[in-house]
Amino acid sequence: MSHEYVPEIATSRDGKEHEVQGWQGDFYGGKLGFWLFMLTEVMMFGAMFLVLTYYFSLHHADFLEASSELNRVLGGTNTVILLISALTMGLGLLKMRNGDVKGAKLMIWATILLALIFLGIKAVEWTHEYQHGVFLGLDALQSGNAHSKPLGQILFFGMYFTMTGLHGFHIIIGIGLMLWLLKRINAGKVTTEHHILHFNIALYWDLVHLIWVFVFPYFYMIGAGDIAGGVINAH
Amino acid sequence: MLTNYKTLKAGYYKVLIGLLVLTTVTFVQPHMFLTGHIFATQIFIGLAKAWIILMYYMHLKGEVLIGKTVIFSVALVTFFFLVVVIDVEHFQFKDASYIASHEQSDVSHATSHED
Repeated sequence: MSHEYVPEIATSRDGKEHEVQGWQGDFYGGKLGFWLFMLTEVMMFGAMFLVLTYYFSLHHADFLEASSELNRVLGGTNTVILLISALTMGLGLLKMRNGDVKGAKLMIWATILLALIFLGIKAVEWTHEYQHGVFLGLDALQSGNAHSKPLGQILFFGMYFTMTGLHGFHIIIGIGLMLWLLKRINAGKVTTEHHILHFNIALYWDLVHLIWVFVFPYFYMIGAGDIAGGVINAH
Repeated sequence: MLTNYKTLKAGYYKVLIGLLVLTTVTFVQPHMFLTGHIFATQIFIGLAKAWIILMYYMHLKGEVLIGKTVIFSVALVTFFFLVVVIDVEHFQFKDASYIASHEQSDVSHATSHED
């Protein structure tokens, strides 16, 4: 398969063909625009961390106790997987810029595979939590019944499922974007000379990684008080 | 074609090693050092990792305009953080608030323990 650049062609009403002069020819503009989009993401997750901090300040002990219940091995494994996937995505971009399109595609597939493993582990984790009665909508996370957890823990788990769920949704979007990128590469729309789409999707994947860098310690590590998984300074 | 491909590739691996080291520190910290300040230490390690990712994986190093935009964005989020922190410190309806009420938490906890 050749990887010659195929420009976008628009046909006017009188049948004449014109090459579309879009974002492919404006690398810096495309990059700046995507950064502006990512900053809205930072503000959205920033607001969620703000809410989390507010609840944490009010229900300190409950948060530490709830955090100690999470599976740090699975969460930590996902942290390493995302870390390696950020490397494969970066190497893919580097290979694309160096003219190794086949190598770039291989790296994108590796990233997709790692993303799927991440989602699989997350699914195992959520299933485990559901089986222990801790999930959105179940009695333990509803106030005012005999099985209710303390309010602080309800808030913690509510934020945990919301934020890790939203992060997981971003992972799914990322997989979709990478598949689209592969399609564009195969169609000759993304090449060594015109790789802004690849650059921006790699940036998106780094953002997904960046968010997890804060999600992981905030939920999983704050309650890791001692070897036994207990809580120190909690009460 | 990149003339410095091997150097750039080596850079990516160095960053990976740095991030793996910090991730290891994240895991051992609550059991080994600053055990009385787990939250602050974890967030500090997270910030160090974020800085490395932004500079080297997201190519912000040397970017002036985008760098300033990111600083503005983070400053804006920090500003709202500070406003809320100050507001919470002087929350005048704390006793009347359901979310802020520790009594609600204690009551539901006690109920669950009774069962």
